[in-house]
Parts: sequence; C-alpha cells; structure tokens
Amino acid sequence: MMEEGPMADGKNTFVIGDPAALGTVETRRQFLRMLGVGGSIVLLPTLFAACDDDDTGIVNPPPSGGVTINLSNDTGILNYAYALEQLEAAFYTAVLAAPVFATLSAPEQEIFTDLQRHEVIHREFFKNALGSNAIGTLTPTASAVTGALATRNSLLLASETFEDLGVAAYNGAGKYLTVAANLLAAGKIVSVEARHAAVIRDIRDGTNGTKFANSEVVNAQGLDVKLEFVPVLTAANPFIDTEITLTNVPAVPAGSTDQAPQHS
Amino acid sequence: MNNTPILETIDPEIMGRLASRREAIKQGASMSTALATALAIGSVPIALAGLTKDVFGQAPLTIKQVLDFAFLLENLEAEFYKAVLGESAVAAYNTAFIPVRALIPAKARASITLIRTHEVAHVAFLRAALDTMGGPARVWAASDFDFTGGNGSGTGPFARATTDLQFLLVATQAFEDTGVRAYKGQAGNLISNDTLLEAALRIHSVEARHAAQIRKIRRENGAPDTVRYSGTVRGGGAGAAGAGNVTAPPAEVVTALGLIYAGEDTNNVSTLNFGTTLPGVSAGDLAFAIGEAFDEPLTREQVVAIVEPFVIPAIT
Repeated sequence: MMEEGPMADGKNTFVIGDPAALGTVETRRQFLRMLGVGGSIVLLPTLFAACDDDDTGIVNPPPSGGVTINLSNDTGILNYAYALEQLEAAFYTAVLAAPVFATLSAPEQEIFTDLQRHEVIHREFFKNALGSNAIGTLTPTASAVTGALATRNSLLLASETFEDLGVAAYNGAGKYLTVAANLLAAGKIVSVEARHAAVIRDIRDGTNGTKFANSEVVNAQGLDVKLEFVPVLTAANPFIDTEITLTNVPAVPAGSTDQAPQHS
Repeated sequence: MNNTPILETIDPEIMGRLASRREAIKQGASMSTALATALAIGSVPIALAGLTKDVFGQAPLTIKQVLDFAFLLENLEAEFYKAVLGESAVAAYNTAFIPVRALIPAKARASITLIRTHEVAHVAFLRAALDTMGGPARVWAASDFDFTGGNGSGTGPFARATTDLQFLLVATQAFEDTGVRAYKGQAGNLISNDTLLEAALRIHSVEARHAAQIRKIRRENGAPDTVRYSGTVRGGGAGAAGAGNVTAPPAEVVTALGLIYAGEDTNNVSTLNFGTTLPGVSAGDLAFAIGEAFDEPLTREQVVAIVEPFVIPAIT
C-alpha cells in the first residue's frame, strides 16, 4: 500500500505500508517527486498497515509512540542506525529465550549468544551517544518475530536477512555522515555486522564455503550490498510495529546505485 | 599489462563521476581544516569525542594517497591468494605453495578461491579509479611481494605458510583483518567524496566477510575458542589471532600478530553498565563481547609497519 496526498498538516506525505509497494514504476516516480519537495516518508507499523488496504485514501490514526528521524544531519543518521540495532538486539534476545535455541548445535548457539551480546552493546552504544536526541524504543512486531523463531531454518533466514540488511544500511548511510568521528563509529560497527552476516550465511551454506560472500551480496566489482534509507526500512518494516517518519531524506548522489542482498 | 577489459567492467556512472571530480581531487584532496572544523562545530553535538583520537592522531592523506595505499594492500592480498592457488605470474611462488595447497580442505579452498576473485576485483576497481587521477603511484607486480615476510629473501618468518595449513590459515585471517582495519582507518580521509567513500565502505565490509569466514573455518578445524564461530575478533594483541593451534610460531610472527591486532580490545562503551541489558553475563564474558562488538582502525603508518616485510620495494 502506498499513498500520496495531503495529511492533516497540509504537507505532502508519502506513506509506505507494504514492502512490495516500492517495486512499481509509478510509486517510485511518486516517491522521487516527494523527495524533491521535501516531503516526509511514513513507514506504517506492520499490523496497522495490514489493516489499511481499502484504498479509501483515508489514513487511520496511527498508534501512539511513533518516531520521527530527521536525516538532515548526523544525529538523524545515527538514530537510523540506532533503530536497526534496536530491532536486531530485540530479535536475538528473543532467539536466546525461544525453544528453537535448544535445537541448535553448540557452534550455532555460540554464534547466537555472541550476536545477541554484540547487538545489545551496539544498541546501548547509540542510545548513550545520542543521549537526549535518541529516538524512543521501537516495538518489534510480535507475530513476525514468533514466525521467524518457528524453526531453525526460519531463524537462520531471518538472521541472515537482518545482518545483510544491516551491512547494506551502514554502507548506504556512511556517505551522509559529516563528522569523521561518527563515520569511524559506524565503521567500527558495520564490519562486525558483516562478520555476523558471513557466518550466518555460512551456516546456511553447509560445507560449500562460498555463500558468506557470494554473488547474492558481493557484485562482480567486489563491492558489498548497499541500500538507501527507505528501501532498508521498507524491508525491515514487517518486523517494526512502530510508525517511523523519515524527514529530509537526502538526495542520492549520482552513480550511487542500490544493491539489495539476495537470500536463496 | 593490458587493462582495457578491467576498465570495461567498471560501472560507467561511477567512473564518470570520478572523472568529473578529477580536478578537485588534483587540487588537494580531502577536506580543508577549516571545513572540517566548521563541520565538527556546526553539526552534531554527539558525544563520540573519545573516538576522535584515532582519526585525528594521524596526518590526513589525500584521496589519491588513500587509493594508492589501498591499491598496494589489495595487490598484496590478490597476489598472495594467486600464489596459494598456483595462479601467480611468478612460477617459483606457485611451486613454493604446492605442499600446503594439497592440504587445504575443499570448503576452505572454495572460500579462498572466492576471496581471491574479490581481491582481484578490488585491484581492478582501484586501478580504474586511480586512472582517473593520473594513474597509480606504482603498478604492482607479483614479483614485488615476498609472502615469507622476508623483504625479498624468500626465507622470512612466514615461510611456513607454504607447508603448514594452520599457519596458512592464520596468515590469511591476519591479512584480511589487517585489510578491515586499514580501510576503517582511511574512511575519514574520504569523507569529502561520497562516491569513493561509499565504494571504500563496500570493499571494507567484504574484507570483514572474508576475515569472518576464515575465522569460522579455523575454529571448525581446531582453533581455540578465542577464534569465534561468530567471526568476530576476541581480545587484542597477538592473542587475538587465536594462533594457539599453530605449533611454535616464530617470534617474528608473534610480533607481527601483535601489531595486526594491537588495540582490537578497545572498550568503546566504558561508561556504560550492562547489568540490566545483559543480565547474567559474567564480567569476563562481557569484556570479551564489548571488544568483539567493535572493530578498530589502524593508521597508514601502523599498516605499513605490518606489510613492509612482505613488500620488496620501499613503501613511499
């Protein structure tokens, strides 16, 4: 679902409720037009979006507790990273407490234990660094998390998706940071996300030895995945039960082409 | 060497953008001190001050210097893997690695082969970028490198990588982790160039995938649990290499590993208490996790000190 039109405040607002919505030419055009006039982009909470497909043009009142991320400066970009780390930390914390954890091998349990700690540490790092500028706590979509934890296979696929998405997000956002210390902080974290992504992919690869960095994530030039803000949050949206509004989404520099991770 | 086919594989949009920046780059590089100061003051009051030392403690390189430096490292890596796999232009290097080549398990061989492909692609990518800036400072050849770390003697302390699988895998892991740290250390010097910064970040995370895969393979083949299945770096200094399954490594190798992992155990969250957010985790395990959760940069000078024994010409 995607809607463009005047909201209560009279400003143009673009609403994304469905990960497939960005796939059509027309919605992409609308989206690009919105960026040109400084509109906002709203990512509806999963359950709310799922209920609002009647095409009436009327957007139901969102649940309370939505967050706004202003991408015009480093604070907003680090809040975007904080949002992703919140989701990862919540997800892996749920993994350790779920019945599926006991079905994993000892090496796999070690991996998920490590990942949970790392992501909680990342989350707390951003929360502390952002201080009073930090966005609020995001609510994960319980049904999506439960679904992902149903089996070992669904757990591994969801984890791979999260980690590769994190790599793509940091790789896309880094260029918008203006303070070198912030860029370095993001750099210290993104390589850890890439390490996570590689080992989860390798679990799913059995003994083949190539999925950790195969052509699903690394292109012929040897470059890793990279995504801009809206595609990342659109992909993550099924796991987010908090409305996220992005403002001042930056114009993408010429020559910067998104490369989304693939998951076989 | 004919590099035309290499150029044709580069995204024309990226190369066009690089070309359009050529003049600006030639004139001076990254970012003026005044601009950097203005940005630091004018933008975000975020408390990351403790992290700035790593960036500003080194003299900033120009964009061209960053790319020439990365070009050296990628050539070194690419030529190393080509030698390991028997694809080097120097026949003696292919011969040298015959004993260990026969010992590499199928999975590790598949991983190393893919890593080689990426490093060769990185060389081509950087070459194309440098060619828009007047060409690389040096065009490297296989014969410029000595993978024994002997500066051309061919009998350096890393010679055992040609016969000992565990040693080879430690060396491979160390190469990749060095690459991760080297790119991380240069990101700030590319902050004024969105196109090149994005490309460098995308190479940086590929190096991290490589390092993680080698670590996981090592653990699966008997490395100690310092070497995490999660592919992350536990601890700092030589111990972070997890070389405990290598029999009596030469002292020079231990020294080199100490340089490669120096400061990897930096605590970036020293002011935080994880009592409620990570309940039940022992103090020791928490310290490990905090170190693992952040990879640390190396300056150009630190990286040069590490790779110098493997590069026969003087690194300028």
